[in-house]
Amino acid sequence: MNFSTDIIHIAAFLGAGLSVSLASVASGIGVGYIAEEASYAVMKQPNAKDQMFKTMLIGQAATGTGGIFSLVIALLLLFGGLDNADGGWFKVTALFSAGIAIGFGSIGPVFGAGYAGGQACKSIGRMPKKSNEIMGNMLIGQALAQTSSIFALVIALLLLYSTPQQANFPGITLGGIITKSLALLGAGLSIGLGTIGPGIGIGNVAGRANDMLGRYPKQRPNIMKTMFLGAAVSESTAIYSLVISLLLLFAVK
Amino acid sequence: MEQIARAAALLGAGICMGIGALGPGVGEGFVAGKACEGIARSPENSTLIMKTMLVGQAVSESTGIYSLVIALLLIFAT
Repeated sequence: MNFSTDIIHIAAFLGAGLSVSLASVASGIGVGYIAEEASYAVMKQPNAKDQMFKTMLIGQAATGTGGIFSLVIALLLLFGGLDNADGGWFKVTALFSAGIAIGFGSIGPVFGAGYAGGQACKSIGRMPKKSNEIMGNMLIGQALAQTSSIFALVIALLLLYSTPQQANFPGITLGGIITKSLALLGAGLSIGLGTIGPGIGIGNVAGRANDMLGRYPKQRPNIMKTMFLGAAVSESTAIYSLVISLLLLFAVK
Repeated sequence: MEQIARAAALLGAGICMGIGALGPGVGEGFVAGKACEGIARSPENSTLIMKTMLVGQAVSESTGIYSLVIALLLIFAT
């Protein structure tokens, strides 16, 4: 089949669309959940409305991070000047795969961070005196949940800038092209789908911890210890996905 | 034809680890979330709860490890 840069453009446009649309579905739900819980908490505790407003905005900013990662990758796909025809079919699949990686990859972390932020607002509504402790724990929990979206961002950037050019393999057969291209697609799918579960799981841990800080503030050290341990174990599957993605990117001939 | 099979194996490795990480991640998060709740409500049982949490998470992790093994086999043993 004849190759032209149009095919690279098509793949980049598809990837950009997928990445932003998937991420904004999740961002909308996550950020909206925080606002919902914050509104309800203000209704219950009108005196604490200033702390609530601050926590809501900070929580929403941390939750929106996943959406911003996707936007950055989409803008790079559209305007990053990645349409060099030397890239060939390798570049076509790499660009599409980068969009899949960050698009699916931000769904779970954003849901998780949104749940953690919502539970923090609810918790401050119950115990406004402890708002600083709860907000600190919310930020730690959201950072833990967003770790896996950062894995996805790293893989997406590697797919954009560090994949081989097809022109560097002059004698490559059709089978060789398909093998390398599908390996690049697999790398994006692995980290993209693989971060959904850990993101949601860690967000659930952080959300329950925030909720319990508002009910039993004296147990803060115990709650935080359990949260860290549980979140670290949940993160392990995201790390397996990262390993498989890196192997597919760099260890496959 | 062999190379097409190899290509499908590599794509399969990515899908295998990606979807395989969904369940353990969500499941372990739920275990740890409820453990936080339990430790806050009855701190005197914290060692017992922590032990149960870790055993439960280790069992949930097993399917994630199966996916990892299959993905590695697809990459290196096909």
